[in-house]
Amino acid sequence: MIEITVWATGVIQDKEGRDVCLVLTEAAFNEGKFTQAFDNYVDLPDRINVQVRKYARISESQIENVFEYENHRPNIIGVCEATIMKGINVCKGIQKNGFLVINTTKDPEELLKYVPEKERKRLKAVGTIDALGIAPEQLIDYSGSEGAEDVSAIGGGLGAAMAGAIAAISGVVKKESVLGAASNRTAAKRGYDEVKIKQL
Amino acid sequence: MKERYKKYTIEIPEEMSIPFAGIVESPKPNGEQPLMLTGGWRIYRPVVDSEKCVMCKSCVLACPDATVLLVDGGNKIGFNLDYCKGCGLCTWACPVNAIDRVPELDFEDGVPFQDALFLLPHVEALYADD
Repeated sequence: MIEITVWATGVIQDKEGRDVCLVLTEAAFNEGKFTQAFDNYVDLPDRINVQVRKYARISESQIENVFEYENHRPNIIGVCEATIMKGINVCKGIQKNGFLVINTTKDPEELLKYVPEKERKRLKAVGTIDALGIAPEQLIDYSGSEGAEDVSAIGGGLGAAMAGAIAAISGVVKKESVLGAASNRTAAKRGYDEVKIKQL
Repeated sequence: MKERYKKYTIEIPEEMSIPFAGIVESPKPNGEQPLMLTGGWRIYRPVVDSEKCVMCKSCVLACPDATVLLVDGGNKIGFNLDYCKGCGLCTWACPVNAIDRVPELDFEDGVPFQDALFLLPHVEALYADD
């Protein structure tokens, strides 16, 4: 089972963080896999600019863990706002040969210096992508993160570019599935092609 | 007249004598509330230009978290970086445009590093064999 954790900022990037998880699980569902996608409720996510997590699980067989609303040992970590890495350990609990994808225009080395040594040894590759430059805007949805229903399309902004980047670096879903699941196909395609991968 | 009102007045120290009644102490950095450090929320940091500053203290009044401090014996403006959330109200309130909003990633440190947001005992036990 592959577990994905996506970090975003409070109310402003709530929909985009949710979109990354929803595009990946929609793509995996169309390929015939078992999926779960849910928000984090424990960390009080409805405050503007607080650090927020969104989760997804993808598996070939039935997922038995239906009562735990957190991914304590993720395989893939996505970061929608690079400044978060300065204040919190985003890679806590990452498994061996894990992947990290960051939305930034800077060098990966400048941001990897904030990751502690123990987690750095477990990373297999780091990907950087300018998701905000690819997508025209950052969509905001004020319905809140607890009990929300997505009435607008999924994958309309930088979430589509991040999902494409995660699919490219880790191979958890195929390229055609991601392009079919996101509503902004151009952003997803550019995210898949333009991610800069650095092996560690 | 002054004797009649003396029992209703409060003695205010010099560096805190600002026109309104809002005197709130800044949250203490480094450790009084380890579960509630909000410096990591910040994306833009306020930086003050001491040449332009006229010490009117509008920024001290405008801050909703009481993180704008008077340092150096009350002669300069400083910021409590453990708790500043980067909202930008001090930048907006300054009448001489002495405060700038600079991206936080341009600086090396100044943000309190936390292992997790709410590291409660049952979560800590999960990572004990790491």
